[in-house]
Amino acid sequence: MNTAESSILLVGESGAGKTHYGAQMLQRLMKGDGCLRMSGAATNLEPFEAALESLNEGRAAHHTPTAMYVDSVWPISDRAGRAAQLVWPEYGGEQIKAMISARRVPNAWQGRIQSATAWLLLVRLQQTRAGDDIFSRPITELRGKVSQKRDVQISDQARLIELLQMLIFVGGAQERPVDRPRLGIMLSCWDELSFDGLPAAALESRMPMLAAFVRSNWRDPMIVGLSALERPLSSAESDQQYVSRGPEEFGYVIQSDGLRTSDLTAPIQQLLNNFA
Amino acid sequence: MRQCSIENCFVPDTGCDLGHMNLSECPQWSGKLAAGAAQTESIDEVLLPWSGGALGLADLSFVSGRARPFVVGIAGSQNAGKTTLLGAWYLLLGRGAASVADRQFAGSYSIAGWEAVSGSMRWDPGQPPSFPPHTTSRGGRAPGLLHLSFWDSAERQSIDYLFADAPGEWFQKWAVNRDSDEGIGARWVADRADVFVIVADCEALSGDNMGAARNGLRLLARRLAAELRQRPVALVWTKSDIAISPEIENAVRLAVFNVMPEAVEFFVSVVPKVGESGANGTGLIELLSWILWTRRKQIMLPHPEGGSSDPLFMYGSRS
Repeated sequence: MNTAESSILLVGESGAGKTHYGAQMLQRLMKGDGCLRMSGAATNLEPFEAALESLNEGRAAHHTPTAMYVDSVWPISDRAGRAAQLVWPEYGGEQIKAMISARRVPNAWQGRIQSATAWLLLVRLQQTRAGDDIFSRPITELRGKVSQKRDVQISDQARLIELLQMLIFVGGAQERPVDRPRLGIMLSCWDELSFDGLPAAALESRMPMLAAFVRSNWRDPMIVGLSALERPLSSAESDQQYVSRGPEEFGYVIQSDGLRTSDLTAPIQQLLNNFA
Repeated sequence: MRQCSIENCFVPDTGCDLGHMNLSECPQWSGKLAAGAAQTESIDEVLLPWSGGALGLADLSFVSGRARPFVVGIAGSQNAGKTTLLGAWYLLLGRGAASVADRQFAGSYSIAGWEAVSGSMRWDPGQPPSFPPHTTSRGGRAPGLLHLSFWDSAERQSIDYLFADAPGEWFQKWAVNRDSDEGIGARWVADRADVFVIVADCEALSGDNMGAARNGLRLLARRLAAELRQRPVALVWTKSDIAISPEIENAVRLAVFNVMPEAVEFFVSVVPKVGESGANGTGLIELLSWILWTRRKQIMLPHPEGGSSDPLFMYGSRS
């Protein structure tokens, strides 16, 4: 991790938990007891100011404005003392949805995609529709029932596959499987899933086509579970334990091998360490 | 309105045909601007070279860049279940059920097209599933092509497949008259497909017009056999949960195997076999596996017998 700048392209649709993870990541870096710690002052903490304030008061952060995109540069170091600059973005998740539906990637995003050391896709499985079809829930008599044209809403996993295809194209990766940028998939709000197995198995069971796509296209994708808050918070009512103990005492990651750690910086270190 | 002088370039609907991510770097596009044409679209965005829908001929250069895709031709009469077959495969892939040894889904540049053909087979709030609507027969030289890419873990490479979603009317016309104007799209499929599926519709073969259905299939089999050029073909009985009389079944089988003796046979349905549990229908995964495992005929070059070990002089040298 001795590169001058390690930029993470954090990709997540609205509601995936980017802001909460960013704010909690910041708390952990400042606390300094994880794999990574802050070794100086961040250039600009403004994007996370409101979220940090909300969490310290035991409340959920507010929705990030759609048009916002701010990169925050964090000087970090690992336990071996190697230093790097981590560029952490904060933006409204609607930008991702707009890119997919408009099928256009703004030039600003092109630069981010191409310069990122690793891509980290946040997926909130509880927010996705599993979707029944004629195989999973057959009806007794379909014969003769021919559909009239109806509006087709693209399935959630198809949308995410298209998003990753767009990123691969814009990123310019030619060879398969892709080595760099490395891909991490973070299954956010893991606590609400109530899933017992490994994160990769959760992705496989809920979005098998996306899981196959990722396995086919990346040499060594990292799939982890994340509960940035550890439990649901309300934006109106304050959680007293959060207030008294501090948000940095909450949140955990289920690593690829199933081990649970409270170090929210561990997946980032794993993603970036590949390029040490 | 077209904004590029290159015939196959559809900027700004899709990306630059010459591959320039930044349009200002494209000589054709820049030339257009320099000539004073109205710039109606902003170019500060990267446009994608695929639209997500079924691919047309102009889109093929993008998916055939690394190798010629494997084209799957599905021939059959109108309402025989050709589009349902495609939609069913996509749904099974989406559910992780279509597991084929050494083949793994690796992407699609027509994912919205696949969603469109399978959308009606999903449960939506207040809308039970149904079969896909009839594939509209429009004029045109080629059918809509649905793209799938699979990762071959043994060979460690991606293989591209194009599934032709052609209306049944094209094949009916083509079966009767090879050079029919209305069947020109079916001829495109017959010329280019690497593997064929000929569809026998059990519903039609058991209904009031079973004689006409049998005759239509006989004509189609004969036409296909004349154009086959030793390419692999499967006789696929769709809607196989519907019983048909043994006489009709034998007649169809004879009509196909008499002219294409090397054909293989599959029975498929979205309904599982009687007495079988599971939620993968009947025969659909087996048919997809057969397609994915089928290979083009290859030419084996004779082993060089030259006296030199230098590849440059191996052929043509006297031993």
